[in-house]
Amino acid sequence: MARFSWARARAVFWKDFLDLRKNRGLIWSMLALPAVLVVVPAGVVFAYVRSPDDPNLRVMAMYYDFTVNADHAARFLVDKVLIDWFSVYLIMPVFVPILISSHSVAGEKERRTLEPLLASPVTSLELLVGKSMASLLPSFAICVLAFVCLCVAVDLTAWPLDHQLVLPTRMWVFGVFIIAPLFAFFGNGISVLISARVGDSRLAQQLSGLFVLPLVGLAAGQFGGFLKGGGVTYALLGAFVLVLDLLLVALTSRLFDRERLMSRWN
Amino acid sequence: MAAPSLTVVDLARRFGDRVAVEGLSFEVQPGEVFGLLGPNGAGKTTTVRMLTGLLRPSSGYAEVCGVRLPADEDGSLLRRRVGLLTEQPGLYERLTAHENLTFFMRLNELDEVKAWARARSYLERFGLGGREHEPVGGFSKGMRQKLAIVRTLLHEPQLLFLDEPTSGLDPESARTVRDAVAELAAEGRTLVLCSHNLAEVERLCTRVAVIKNRLRTVASLTELRREGLALEVTVEGAAARFVPALQALPFAPTALCEGGRLRVMLTDEQHAPEVVSCLVGAGARVHLVTRASRPLEEAYLELVREE
Repeated sequence: MARFSWARARAVFWKDFLDLRKNRGLIWSMLALPAVLVVVPAGVVFAYVRSPDDPNLRVMAMYYDFTVNADHAARFLVDKVLIDWFSVYLIMPVFVPILISSHSVAGEKERRTLEPLLASPVTSLELLVGKSMASLLPSFAICVLAFVCLCVAVDLTAWPLDHQLVLPTRMWVFGVFIIAPLFAFFGNGISVLISARVGDSRLAQQLSGLFVLPLVGLAAGQFGGFLKGGGVTYALLGAFVLVLDLLLVALTSRLFDRERLMSRWN
Repeated sequence: MAAPSLTVVDLARRFGDRVAVEGLSFEVQPGEVFGLLGPNGAGKTTTVRMLTGLLRPSSGYAEVCGVRLPADEDGSLLRRRVGLLTEQPGLYERLTAHENLTFFMRLNELDEVKAWARARSYLERFGLGGREHEPVGGFSKGMRQKLAIVRTLLHEPQLLFLDEPTSGLDPESARTVRDAVAELAAEGRTLVLCSHNLAEVERLCTRVAVIKNRLRTVASLTELRREGLALEVTVEGAAARFVPALQALPFAPTALCEGGRLRVMLTDEQHAPEVVSCLVGAGARVHLVTRASRPLEEAYLELVREE
């Protein structure tokens, strides 16, 4: 088997990253999701903080937990929304790599650049590693940046409530730096796998995007009061996704080869 | 005699039940410009993909620049020795020409200083000098294809496969690309040119393999034109009136009147006297009978129409 060359994997990463930097449309669509994920919770927190003594907040808080101290309903709801919002935040580390990977793998087929690329000495594994790096590193950077913005926005809006920082919490730090990369790896793996088998980046995006739906369901369950979010729940979820990641690595390294890429293409 | 650059033995590729190409056997000598001639869907691109290690043959084998196919697990040794120019240039349009070439230098793990010295000389020769830092998206089709040729030459391949290099280009762009290929041929490079453009093949190639899902023939262009015999007959008066009589002859598949002369294709040259006697019998005064070589087009069409 041919030796693995980091130089060639880095070359693939360099080219894809350069191409991404010059693709303004893709960059804007990638930034739209983090913007929403920062603005929406900050808006909700602002609504709670603006009138903390509103009796409706007490009713809402008691809906989630009837033992809650009615005087602290606003703070309870702020904490609750920030815990539950993490499941919505997890959509980002899945979805952003999907946007990038589908563009970089199925996009190569669409733009007819795949054949010259496969005719070069780059191996399938180097291609896979280079493309995954080009998808995962920007996604991780965006997730961290969004988290920093979220902390600033939420702390500024929540400050009048009891003059304390509400973010970052240990759960969020653990989530952003441990759980989110596992989800990003999952999004990238799914997208690479699908992109290798379809010849159209939009179709690859749509099919890969279906894998975001369970997270939407999880968030809906939490906000509806049926499911309880928290550090343990997210850690268990992370462990489950880690298993899926390992399965994806095995599957992708088996299915991502020259022969399949070429014969699926034509 | 040097070992052939390319030896193909009974090579075949099937996609499920569909046979893309089968029974291919030919050799290409070092320094030769060899044509793979065939209509659309004849299996030319599949053949090139097999010979560049992109697709595995279903049966048969080939030896390409000393590498036996089906190749090692990944075929990277083969890809270091051959170059492939695809029908579409396959360049990254948002990147500049410089970035496109740098990417392929890195994939080939070349010394970038030396590779750039080489690349610049090719860029100058192909009229792309000074355009390196422009995005490829702004290049014309001909410029893109020439840049793709430069990219193919970066690692100095021993054997170059050119798959329909002028397909889809306007006549002017096609000509500039053809000139560039002719320059490479003049340098003594070994080239395999896939095409259905007969004028291009006639200009550039010395020998051809005609394929249509299987090998129809391997011959030099001169041999191909001579396959079968063409007679040119000059008669007194209007020649066209003798065409029906000639068309009735079972050994003359084609008979037509061209430029006031009769042109008759024969399956065998032994039938030449019978052509003359047929014409005389039909009342013609025969002035001159000469042997003519067939146009390549005629030979090609006859081969690809054979079932």
